[in-house]
Amino acid sequence: MSRWLSPVALLLALPLLAALLAACAPRPPADDKEALADYRQTNDPLEPTNRFFYKVNDQLDAVTLKPAAEAYRYVLPDGARESVHNMLVNLNDPTVFFNDVVEAEPRRAGDTLMRFLINSTLGIGGFFDVAKHWGYPNHDADFGMTLGLYGVPPGPYLFIPILGPSNPRDLAGFGVDIADWPFTWMVNGTTVYALEWAYYGLNAVDVRSRVLDSLDQVQKTALDPYATIRSLYRQRRESQIEAIRNDHRATVPAWFPAPATQAE
Amino acid sequence: MILKRRQIFPIIGFAPALLWRQRAQAADPAGFVRQVGDQLIGVINGPGAMADKRAQIRQIIDRFVDVDGIGRFCLGRFWRLATPQQRQDYLALFHQVLVTSISGHLGEYKGVRYTLGRVSPHDDTVWVDTTIFRPNNPQADVQWVIASVDGGQKIEDLVVEGTSLRLTQRSDYAGFLQHNGDNVQALIDAMRRTLTKASEG
Repeated sequence: MSRWLSPVALLLALPLLAALLAACAPRPPADDKEALADYRQTNDPLEPTNRFFYKVNDQLDAVTLKPAAEAYRYVLPDGARESVHNMLVNLNDPTVFFNDVVEAEPRRAGDTLMRFLINSTLGIGGFFDVAKHWGYPNHDADFGMTLGLYGVPPGPYLFIPILGPSNPRDLAGFGVDIADWPFTWMVNGTTVYALEWAYYGLNAVDVRSRVLDSLDQVQKTALDPYATIRSLYRQRRESQIEAIRNDHRATVPAWFPAPATQAE
Repeated sequence: MILKRRQIFPIIGFAPALLWRQRAQAADPAGFVRQVGDQLIGVINGPGAMADKRAQIRQIIDRFVDVDGIGRFCLGRFWRLATPQQRQDYLALFHQVLVTSISGHLGEYKGVRYTLGRVSPHDDTVWVDTTIFRPNNPQADVQWVIASVDGGQKIEDLVVEGTSLRLTQRSDYAGFLQHNGDNVQALIDAMRRTLTKASEG
């Protein structure tokens, strides 16, 4: 099988396709200051293209991922789905660890390392989140957030076919995270390709099943679902970066013997 | 009656304690959230048809949520462009929108529960952290933004997993208005249509 058929290559080709079809949103006249401020704040100069891909994605989703996620939720009970989710999170932990280190967040990196060691072994391949109960809670980290933490602005909003809402910063981060995920570099072979596809497929179904009700709600009640999702995506990313910034936990864990206070 | 010194001192000593108690009651955001949360969950997990529950949820929201303030915020710069009649229509519909939104987020989940977390001041508001557990859904961190409005406490926003309900709603309306020639009447008509659809389905 050719390397070009790998999920990685396909996912990286999508933004190129989007760029080829790009069209620009009309900028409001300079004398309408409030409209201009809105335009800048929305920061969505490619809106017509984005809206086009949003529509395509939405229609694709309705006949593919959404029914798959519904079936998945129908067939598997809560606990089983949680276990599959834990397993997927565990497989992604090397990437989280890489980003914790690059973010210079030793406490978070320690949490991730312990989580991966404990859950891969005692948690039986990650199916059970044992580490959570031992004081190593799960947290998010990807290269888009890492860049954000270092002050890189998100840039204009992008809606990428299949991948969904994004921006240049997060899209670049997505590419870096494919490269820093060790399983990407495993030896070529049909089994590895099959496993890679299975991982990406299962991940998509898992993610979709976790937002089934929320997205339904948006599509049922929003007057402009595209603008609502754009706002939700931005706020969510910003809050994730803020959560890293506000993580002031001490690096030395509580069980580590405290240094002697005063030598006699 | 003339009080002796011995009798006055305890009264003076007690007065600050009384005052302090009153202040503590007036500004106990966690207790406030627990009060609202318990009432909401009592309705949601209780018996009765969805229509009755919606009516009860509406009462709770009208009492504890700064609906008019949130409504004005969500319309943004278009509030000034709206006629008095449009403002009135809009706010009346907005009450229903909030009820539908909250009922949609919580109402259909019998067995919903929550836990209270940290309380932290943010500018002139107080944020109360909660975690909400809904059957069939992953747990969600929700922050309640409490502000003092007219001397009492009111909910000004809900921040669900880092996303503000009122900011999202404002973006929704701004997006719609941008594509409908900034026409507030078109927004009001669309709100009415969506509400009818939601109450039917």
